[in-house]
Amino acid sequence: MTPERVTIKGTSTGIVVTIGAGNWKTILRQLAQKLEQRASFFKGGRAAVAVGERLLNTEEIEALGAVLAEHQMTMWAVYGDAAETQTAAKTLGLEFEPADAQRKQKSPARAASARPTENVTTIRRTLRSGQTVETLGNVVVIGDVNPGAVIKAGGYVIIWGYLRGTVYAGAVSPENAFVAALELKPVQLIIGDAIARAPADDHRRTIIPEIAFVQDGQIIAEAWNKK
Amino acid sequence: MAGKVITITSGKGGVGKTTTTANLSAALAIAGNKVVAIDADIGLRNLDVVMGLENRIVYDLVDVIEGTCRLKQALIRDKRVEGLYLIPAAQTRDKTAVSPEDMVAVCDELRQEFDFILIDSPAGIEQGFKNAMSPADRVLIVTTPEISAVRDADRIIGLLEAAGKGPGNLIINRLRADMVQRGDMLDISDVVDVLAIQLIGVIPDDEAIIISTNKGVPVIFENNSTSSQAFKNISRRLGGEDVPFLNLQPETSFFQKLVRFWNGN
Repeated sequence: MTPERVTIKGTSTGIVVTIGAGNWKTILRQLAQKLEQRASFFKGGRAAVAVGERLLNTEEIEALGAVLAEHQMTMWAVYGDAAETQTAAKTLGLEFEPADAQRKQKSPARAASARPTENVTTIRRTLRSGQTVETLGNVVVIGDVNPGAVIKAGGYVIIWGYLRGTVYAGAVSPENAFVAALELKPVQLIIGDAIARAPADDHRRTIIPEIAFVQDGQIIAEAWNKK
Repeated sequence: MAGKVITITSGKGGVGKTTTTANLSAALAIAGNKVVAIDADIGLRNLDVVMGLENRIVYDLVDVIEGTCRLKQALIRDKRVEGLYLIPAAQTRDKTAVSPEDMVAVCDELRQEFDFILIDSPAGIEQGFKNAMSPADRVLIVTTPEISAVRDADRIIGLLEAAGKGPGNLIINRLRADMVQRGDMLDISDVVDVLAIQLIGVIPDDEAIIISTNKGVPVIFENNSTSSQAFKNISRRLGGEDVPFLNLQPETSFFQKLVRFWNGN
C-alpha cells in the first residue's frame, strides 16, 4: 500500500494540507482521494498547503489549487521552505509563510491585515530574464536583476547587486518607497506613479551604489555616500 | 559505457547551435569517441545540411518515435570519420510530433551504444526546446556577443535552472576582436558578467565557416583556422581537459604598433 503522503487537518489557523516527498502524480491523486472521502466536511472552506522543502513552480501550485477547487475549497496560502516555492506562491498572489512560522499559530486574520510594508521578501540569487517577483511588501535581492527580469513590490526594493531589469516599487505604499542598488541601470524604474529609465550615457567609469526615490513627482537617483 | 547526452541550445536563432553541434560531434569522433548527433529542430531541419548528409536520409527521428523504423535504421553513418553518426529531424512534421518523454526514451537507448549524444536544439522556449532539454546530462548555451542574443540566453538559462538542468556552460560565438577593441562589440567579460555561468569556449567570427557550411563540410575537416581550433578545444574541455583559451587579439600592422608605442600602451 502506498505510504500516506498527504495529510489534512484542521488547526487554529484553519485547514492545513501537508504534502510530503515523492511522486507528484501520486500526491495529486492522494489529495483528490482524501478530499473525496471527507467532501462534505471540507466544502466551502479555505485551505493552506504546507510543502516543506519541495520545489514548486506556478503550474504545480495551480494544479494543487485546481484539485482543491474541484471540492469547493479555496487555496489561500502555500507554506514552504524553498525560495523558488515562495516566489511561485507570491507570483500567484497567495499568502506565504515559512513552515516554521506556522508553529507560532498566527491567525489568518492578523496575517492578512499586517501592514504590507512590514514584511520583506529576501531572494538570494540572480533574477534572470523572464523571471518575476511580486509581493505586497518589500523586497531584498542578494544577486543581480538581469534585463528582462521584473520586480513588483508594494514597498521598497533593495538590490545587493546590479539592477539592469525592471522594478516597480511603492505599488502599495509609495510614500517612503525607494530603490537602492549597487549599480542602478534599470530598463525601467517605477516608484509609485513616477517612471524613469537609466540615462543613455551609461559608459560609466566606476560603478557606484545609488538610491532612487521620488521628489516633486520625479525620480531622482543619488550616489550612496555620506557627505 | 553509459553515454552522455549534451544539448546545445541558445534561445535566439542563428547564433551557431547547428554549426557548433556539427563541429563538436566531428571533433569528439576524431578524438576516438562514438558520437551521434540528433537534430531536434523538427520541421526546420538543417543539421543534415551542415554535415553534408542530407542526400543519405531515409528515416528520421519522428519515424523512430512513431515506430515506423528501428532506431538503427535512422542512424546515418558519416563516412569521413569513424564513429560519427546523425539522426536527422523530420522536415514534413512539426515540433508537436515529439514529446520530452519520447526524447528521453530514444536517448536512453542510444546511451548504451554511444559515448556522446549531442542534441541540436531549435531556437525558442517552447515545445522544441523542452524536447531537446529533457534528456540532457549537460547543456551548452551558445550566444553571440550581442545584447539581444545575451537577453535570450539569460532567459534560457533561467528556464534550464528552473527545470534542474542548469547551470550549463557558455559558448560565445562570432566574436570579432577588432570590433571589441573599438568598443563596438560586447567583450567576453561583459557577456559572462550578465549570464554568470562558466565559459567553455569562444569562437571567432570566421568566413571559413560560411564557406564550409555551404559545402556541407564541418569546418574542422577543412582547415586549421582559429575557429576550427576553438571547436577542437571545446571538445577537449568537454572531456575534462583544461585547455587555455585562444588569444583572439586582432593582427596589428607595424604602423598600429608604432602608434600604440607613442601612446604609451
